[in-house]
Amino acid sequence: MKLSIVKAYVLKELSEIVRSRLIVMVYLMPTMVLVLFGYGIRMEVTGARTLIIDYDQSHYSRLLIEKFTHSKYFTVQKELRLESEALDAIHRAQSDVVVIIPESFEKRLLHGQKIQIGVFVDAAFPMRGSTIESYVKGVVLNAASAIQERRLDRDAHTIAINQRTLFNQAMRDEDAIVPGLIGLVLLIAPAILAALLIVKEKEKGTIFNFYASALSKAEFIAAKLIPVFFLHSINIFILFLWATYWFDVPFRGSFWLYWVASELYLVISLSIGMLISIVTRTQIVAVVLTVIVTIIPGFLYSGILMPISSMVGFSRYEAHIFPVMYYNHILYDVFLVGEGLASEKTQFYLFILAFYGLFLMGLGSLILKKELR
Amino acid sequence: MRLEVRDVSVFHKNRLGIAHANFEANEGEIIGFIGADGAGKSSLIHAIAGVIACQGEIVFDHHTYRSCKEAEPLKARIGLMPQGIGLVLYDLLTVDEHLRFFADIHDLRRDDAFEAYKMRLLQMAGLEKFKDRQAGKLSGGMMQKLSLICTLLHRPKLLVLDEPTTGVDPLSRIELWEILEEIRRSEGTICLISTAYMQEAAKMDKILLFDEQKIIAQGTSAELLKTVESLCYDPDTPCVEPCIRTLQTLYTLSPLEATSTQTPTLEALFFVNALRNGKTMPPIVLSDKKKSDFEGDVLMDAKGLTKRFGTFVANDNVDICLKKGEILGLLGANGAGKTTFIKMLLGLYPIDRGELRLLGKTIETPQDRQALKASIGYVSQHFALYNDMSVQENLLYFASMRGLSSETANERIKRYAQELGFENYLNALPPELPLGINQRFSLASALLHEPVILFLDEPTSGVDAIARAQFWELLKCLKEKWKIAILITTHYMSEAEFCDRVVLMRQGTKIADDTIEGFYAKHPKARNFEEIFLEYFR
Repeated sequence: MKLSIVKAYVLKELSEIVRSRLIVMVYLMPTMVLVLFGYGIRMEVTGARTLIIDYDQSHYSRLLIEKFTHSKYFTVQKELRLESEALDAIHRAQSDVVVIIPESFEKRLLHGQKIQIGVFVDAAFPMRGSTIESYVKGVVLNAASAIQERRLDRDAHTIAINQRTLFNQAMRDEDAIVPGLIGLVLLIAPAILAALLIVKEKEKGTIFNFYASALSKAEFIAAKLIPVFFLHSINIFILFLWATYWFDVPFRGSFWLYWVASELYLVISLSIGMLISIVTRTQIVAVVLTVIVTIIPGFLYSGILMPISSMVGFSRYEAHIFPVMYYNHILYDVFLVGEGLASEKTQFYLFILAFYGLFLMGLGSLILKKELR
Repeated sequence: MRLEVRDVSVFHKNRLGIAHANFEANEGEIIGFIGADGAGKSSLIHAIAGVIACQGEIVFDHHTYRSCKEAEPLKARIGLMPQGIGLVLYDLLTVDEHLRFFADIHDLRRDDAFEAYKMRLLQMAGLEKFKDRQAGKLSGGMMQKLSLICTLLHRPKLLVLDEPTTGVDPLSRIELWEILEEIRRSEGTICLISTAYMQEAAKMDKILLFDEQKIIAQGTSAELLKTVESLCYDPDTPCVEPCIRTLQTLYTLSPLEATSTQTPTLEALFFVNALRNGKTMPPIVLSDKKKSDFEGDVLMDAKGLTKRFGTFVANDNVDICLKKGEILGLLGANGAGKTTFIKMLLGLYPIDRGELRLLGKTIETPQDRQALKASIGYVSQHFALYNDMSVQENLLYFASMRGLSSETANERIKRYAQELGFENYLNALPPELPLGINQRFSLASALLHEPVILFLDEPTSGVDAIARAQFWELLKCLKEKWKIAILITTHYMSEAEFCDRVVLMRQGTKIADDTIEGFYAKHPKARNFEEIFLEYFR
């Protein structure tokens, strides 16, 4: 491999990327994905619109309503009289949840009898529905234990929950999602650019310059991948700044670990792009294929939407096949946990990333042919 | 330094590229590959340049190869310029950057000797003034010259050029040949050049003729012409034996008693070869057609048509008129504005300025055009056929697009298939068919609704000599029997002779407009139309 040749080719690539304005995409796309998805994905539910029908109108029923009113998870709309009207409101998407307190609520409570509270939840989005449902349960339990305390005597205590969340104390969505998005972006963007750079020459015909000259395969691959590697290395820093300064995600680990892992991951992404460019002939197919190949595993098996540990059966194996899982583990560690290389798992995953990159790169240079097909 | 090609065959997946090619070339020789598209020229060129694997063996400078890997050590001494204008150029790099890039990837030392050689190449190509212009903004001819000097930069001893002159304006074509002549003299380079232009054969030391994946003849131009010397006669010579009769010549298998022999051209070799393989050209008989409703004489009259793309003027003030029963040839290099002009006539591009009258009506709104659609037929540069539908299905589809009833459509398709001679291919898919057949059924699709004007955009480029001759015969028939007016663009100068009138275009403007006889009267010294054409470009 002659460095002067690679240098000449790299310079040519860079001036083409700049002159064709592809450079704008290189730096705009990762930022856009981070900002759009960072704001777009919301898992937590606040201010669910709540209709409460109070048939009892007693002291205790008002105490229960008060608990709803004071919770940040619920916005109590108004107290309707008719059940049908309330259900109608859910139908018209004006309310998310309806709570019905039956008559003689207080009486049965004081007599220690069983009471049933009616709850209707809009579960058109199952995840949101089940979240609201569990919040309702929480509020009712909380009210029940308060009532219990008041009814018995002041000293009799029931079970109180004293919980603390770790790593994401405020349970902010941003903290949970943004690091995962970095893993997604750094998988897609470099792969697309790498695939484009090679397929572009195939589509235009300039690939003949490679076929017909003494340029070696290694030189060609290096010339194509080095510019992408350096351009996107800058994105590692840009994405870090967006995460920590804009989305206020804490950073508790070692920056060096973040950097090294990200560069390794970049090599994997580049190799995916290179592999795709070997099997495709046109730029449009290359882009579509790259997006499909990277976004789906990037989303599903990254641990953004669901933790890998909760996956069972085949999906669990699939998750372990894709590189995203390993990188995201390290990402969540450096952002939220901060254990770093002290964790054997992190060491092991870093090793897997390096191996993965080498394997794909080797595979690519093996099947890239310097001849017409 | 010597190149030997021994029994080389190339396969693309399962499709045959070229079969059993044999030839030799010595230092400083220019070898020409002549033949139609798909005849196997490119396959052989790719094999020799070492970019595709082949069977048999290629020996260059005592080194034998048949795979790309084996050719690798030779690549520093081979220069390949593949087919396609500016194919190997990067649109966004300047001329100077190209030279630097090609020097670097060939690992050349950029010393004084190199700089001197580079300047010499730039001067030969006439590009020294355009060093800072981006390749995407060069004309087609300049792009080809730049590609050529980029290929010459590492001083290859074997230069392989795939149709370097196709679609290039005649002047640039001459300059390209001058560069090659100079290089082979000073460097002793072996040049292999494929071309679709028979006229260029005169500049070659040896010619290989390609037809249907085979080399059908080789030798010097004189040797080859000698073999068909007594087989070409005037078209009206009577003949009962197997023969092919075209508009200009009658080709036979064995000498006739007749006296009216013609001096043969290389094209004759293709016709004679076809005859040897038992192929003949069935005569074209068109059935009569009812008179069209339009009575006027001038079918199309364009005045001052202008089309701009941004700051680029594609057509500037072009006046062209087309009369009933006339074949009008629109000639010019690639990018001269021929296609743009036809697209304006068809309403595919809006007209920026000027007036267009079709069948006596001024075209102002799309509605005006809609009413005339039934009178116009169009065959585009790349025959607009659906590759996944059979010929019959394609034709039925075009017929129903034109609002023909299925009975009329079926009847006409059957008739055209017979008359235009593609009856046997009705159930085949277009990609499986030779270009010449596709060309004929594209024409049929444009004729289904029985138009009175026909616009043909380079219908003959890449088509083999025989199919081309047949096509012209057909056009002549259409003109005489049906009185159809035909506007045709082409870059084969020899075809201009078949037109009634010729318009020459250059850089978006009309530079000449006259009948063939008129042109010859103005240029009495010219032996053929190519020479007349060159007069206008000097």
